[in-house]
Amino acid sequence: MILKINKKLVEVDLKGHETLLEVLRDQLGMTGTKTSCTESECGACTVIINQKAVLSCITLANSLEGDEITTIEGVSEGENLHPVQQSFLDHGAVQCGFCIPGMIMSSKALLDQNHRPTQEDIEYALDGNLCRCTGYLKIFDAIRAAGQKMEEQENKLNSVHLTQTNLINH
Amino acid sequence: MLLNPINFYSPQTVSEALSLYSSLGECRLLAGGTFLLNSLKLLKKKGMKTVPNIISLRKIAELKGITTDPETLTIKSMTSITDLYNSPHLTDNFAILKKVCRNISTNLIRNMATVGGNLTSRYTWTELGAPLIALDTKMHFVGSNTKEEVTVEEFFNKGAKTNNLLTHLSIKRDKKCQLSYQRVKKLSEVDVPLLGACIRSTLTDERFQQTKVVINSGTVFAKRDIILEEFLNKSEIEESIASEALNHLDLSIYDTRSDDYKKSMFRVCIKNAILELVQRRKKL
Repeated sequence: MILKINKKLVEVDLKGHETLLEVLRDQLGMTGTKTSCTESECGACTVIINQKAVLSCITLANSLEGDEITTIEGVSEGENLHPVQQSFLDHGAVQCGFCIPGMIMSSKALLDQNHRPTQEDIEYALDGNLCRCTGYLKIFDAIRAAGQKMEEQENKLNSVHLTQTNLINH
Repeated sequence: MLLNPINFYSPQTVSEALSLYSSLGECRLLAGGTFLLNSLKLLKKKGMKTVPNIISLRKIAELKGITTDPETLTIKSMTSITDLYNSPHLTDNFAILKKVCRNISTNLIRNMATVGGNLTSRYTWTELGAPLIALDTKMHFVGSNTKEEVTVEEFFNKGAKTNNLLTHLSIKRDKKCQLSYQRVKKLSEVDVPLLGACIRSTLTDERFQQTKVVINSGTVFAKRDIILEEFLNKSEIEESIASEALNHLDLSIYDTRSDDYKKSMFRVCIKNAILELVQRRKKL
């Protein structure tokens, strides 16, 4: 079976009962997605499927043919960290770090849709990601700052695109 | 492996799913998976046998989406809780569903769990049960050669069992009625609806009319409190009724195994739901 993971087509050997979490970690060696509770309580295994943050521990890999799967390994562009990742570092939002891949994925899914989330939006989006170090406040700060950064980057891109379009029209 | 070996099927249409369902023998339908897969994992952990065949409904496009017309809201069974929450169609009496969806589990679960799975997994903690009963929601099923239409109330009263496939829900628009939903969380983060109360009433006159009171205790399927409904339908819409109503509960439907806290919180939920309706009447 072919899965589309981080914009690449990957062939996997499935018997039918493998969760996406198991396929990522055990077959593909993508251990950034964490195994923790394995019963949908903690959010450590969060990935993005078709732009929505979901739990890979309760997703059957077999059901994902044709879907766009993004894992923590696909968030940065080469060595350039995604604004969410950079912001987590800048704000000291990482303590033990175990929950962070899941936190990043839920944050990215939120900020991809909304660069200026309210505190309520952030809490709504992250209510399934548990941090046992209880470092939530810095995580919230990091998300807000990342949203601003993403908005700046988007505005910059739009203005470059606008300039290029004007040049072409003239 | 977290799960025992299974044969996995992913039909693209309802008729293909029905054909598999009737031919495979022992099998389960997989909607969002948030309940079924965890149950199967738990059974494996306990060393118990699990169902050999799974039919995923995930790729069946005709089971997804929400539509509306002047009279009816139609929710297809594989619509996720998030998609229902974000739907622009939740106006008039349907608006209560937005509040209910907001409180279902966590965002990660809401993104995966479906309306159909929530109702048919025989999970008594289903948060949608009480408001959907209050809204007189109909469930539409199809089988190999049959079509079936039952209300959510009838479905739950019969133990939420079916051998057919739920295709969609339909709810009649009612611009006159008002709904209130009050619930208590078990925890502030990961939670199940320990208990909740949904009250629907028409408030255009001095008295409550056509009132429905539906209780969700978590340990049994959502049920109506007919005694309280009768009391409210004889009562004027005023704040003092909220306290008085607590002397008119059908105690047989409340969870008798609950501790004092839980019993008390039921009363708080019901009182607050009535008060919310009284306040809303003042604004009409």
